[in-house]
Amino acid sequence: MSGNLFNFLNLSPSMFDRLINPDNVAVVGASTNPKKIGYVVLENLKNNGYKGRVYPVNPKGGEILGYKVYESMEKVPEDVDLAVITLPAELTVKIFESVARKSRFVIPIAGGFGETGEKGKKMEDEIRNIARKYGTRIIGPNTVGIYIPSTGVNTALVVRERSRFPGDGEIAFITQSGALGLLTMDSVSMYDVGFSAFINLGNRVDVNENELLEYFGEDKKSKVVIMYIESFADGREFMKVARKVSKKKPIVILKAGRTARGGKAASLHTGALGGSDAVADGAFKQCGVIRAYDEIELVDYGRALAYGRPVRGDRIAVVTSAGGVGVVTTDYIESEVRGIGMKMADLSEETKKKIKEEVVPFASVENPIDMTAQASDDDYDGVLEALNEDENVDAILVYALFQTPLISEKLVDIITRWHRKGKKPLVVGTIGSDFALEMMKRFEKNRVPVFPSIERSVKALKILRERAKILDYLKEVEE
Amino acid sequence: MNEYEAKKFLKKYGINIPPGTLIRTPEEVESIDLNYPLVAKVVRDDIIHKSDVGGVILNICNEDELRNAIRKINQKFDAPALVEEMQKGGVEIIVGVLKDSTFGHAIMFGLGGIFTEVFRDVTFRVIPITDKDAELMLSEIRGKKILEGYRGIKVNREAIIDLLLSVSKLVEENPQIEGMDLNPVLAREKDCVVLDAKIIEK
Repeated sequence: MSGNLFNFLNLSPSMFDRLINPDNVAVVGASTNPKKIGYVVLENLKNNGYKGRVYPVNPKGGEILGYKVYESMEKVPEDVDLAVITLPAELTVKIFESVARKSRFVIPIAGGFGETGEKGKKMEDEIRNIARKYGTRIIGPNTVGIYIPSTGVNTALVVRERSRFPGDGEIAFITQSGALGLLTMDSVSMYDVGFSAFINLGNRVDVNENELLEYFGEDKKSKVVIMYIESFADGREFMKVARKVSKKKPIVILKAGRTARGGKAASLHTGALGGSDAVADGAFKQCGVIRAYDEIELVDYGRALAYGRPVRGDRIAVVTSAGGVGVVTTDYIESEVRGIGMKMADLSEETKKKIKEEVVPFASVENPIDMTAQASDDDYDGVLEALNEDENVDAILVYALFQTPLISEKLVDIITRWHRKGKKPLVVGTIGSDFALEMMKRFEKNRVPVFPSIERSVKALKILRERAKILDYLKEVEE
Repeated sequence: MNEYEAKKFLKKYGINIPPGTLIRTPEEVESIDLNYPLVAKVVRDDIIHKSDVGGVILNICNEDELRNAIRKINQKFDAPALVEEMQKGGVEIIVGVLKDSTFGHAIMFGLGGIFTEVFRDVTFRVIPITDKDAELMLSEIRGKKILEGYRGIKVNREAIIDLLLSVSKLVEENPQIEGMDLNPVLAREKDCVVLDAKIIEK
């Protein structure tokens, strides 16, 4: 009976609160060997500042990293919100029932399940059935697990000296591949990008992307959900959930792999033309999902959407202190082929006059506005003020280039202020090495959408424009 | 489902097909009420690509030619023929349906002929679609300019959108359908007409 009740309670999306922010965590298969995942998970919990109670489980008992070790799950003094099993597949199955009966969520880390063949699939059935009996939910198996910066829960195995975990943020990341997910997070840690949660679905014997998408759709902390998916657990259900979520917050998906197609219909023209993932592409459009094509786009678009505002029209004003950057940007904005097919705004006479007479008499007042190397922080302030008042401008792309003498770190604050208070959505481009990177981190800290190249800045604009169109579309099809 | 049955099916959903009739023997020719020129096509469930096997006779201008055509088809395929009025003008488009293993039934739209064969210029949506979806499908193919009026070519966009919506509805109400090719469809100034139709059921 109690199992059934637990099951019932565990069906609402908010149940994942206990996964993200568990009161206590058991690590089954805890180890004293620093090279073993059973040690690393404990170390992660300790070093990431996890504040809940930690229960290492190992028949040998003793103490690891100052935590008392329990000889079996039975001996753990209370039921736990989360149990991480760091044992090999067969051992995992063997002790699974003892863990499931005392845990709300179980993460079996081990590979060697369904991905290896029939025997592994049977083991998956076995743990799934046990979990159902107790109303326990499984993430995985064959997963690096989860990483939640805000609560310090981290089950991932990486060498700390050679990789970084990002800090807290507003991006929720659901990934089918653990390694791709961890690599992506490591690489964007360079800019101090933060995440609200990272969850690796693994073999997905129980919890799938649809439930998590629904959860993060409701989660107040997450402003955007980014996903790496190779195959959908249930395509139609995904569309239903995604349509609901994308009304509230953006979803970006990196979808890899191609869809297999039924035999009979392949004799038809339509069947043959349906190759690649043309159907998925259409489906995403119908549920407001934005597509990324690699891990860089995935996080760039996620950041643009988490920090930026939807762009309501095609007319872009570009501000730069480097003429060439303006010219290349213009090509990228206007070209349909290697570009985003939007328009350079025709600035109003009033704006041009303001810029020419009051701000920067030496600058070109045609769009792109080239303020030249003589530009100062205050000049940027004045130009951004003028552009924010221009009816002909739908969004602003401003390049913060710190290499010239009159530009200082203050520019970050000035642009941040316009990003927060200005009427127009704004994207920042910055180009350069160490110093530029430091400035990027400051923009990132201020939640200003900043990108380290012309192309990536322009693509962010395109995505913010797409988001506005998606919101219009979802409204229209609803009516 | 053969072409004759497929077209009857389409007609039930208000989809425009050429005036035509099924003719079994040369003797039945006298009773037809169709305007020449006509086309005669073999109707047999196992023949999907009729023109590849010589099962399509075009430009039939009078009763004698029609009688000959029917006789030929009877002899060659031991099967009846669908006889239809030849259609003129417009732009060839293709509308199709497939059943995707992830998303289920999906509808495809594209420009016909070289655009689909060479450029694969087609777009998909999951069924059911809204009129907004249909409209977006028309405007996102690379050859979209042709549908907007190009060098004297004029097409009725509303008629194409209606066709897509009708196909979506038909499949929604008949989920046993596994695949469909409406190819070609002529998109004309006033209407859309389905010249050939293939429907595969489970």
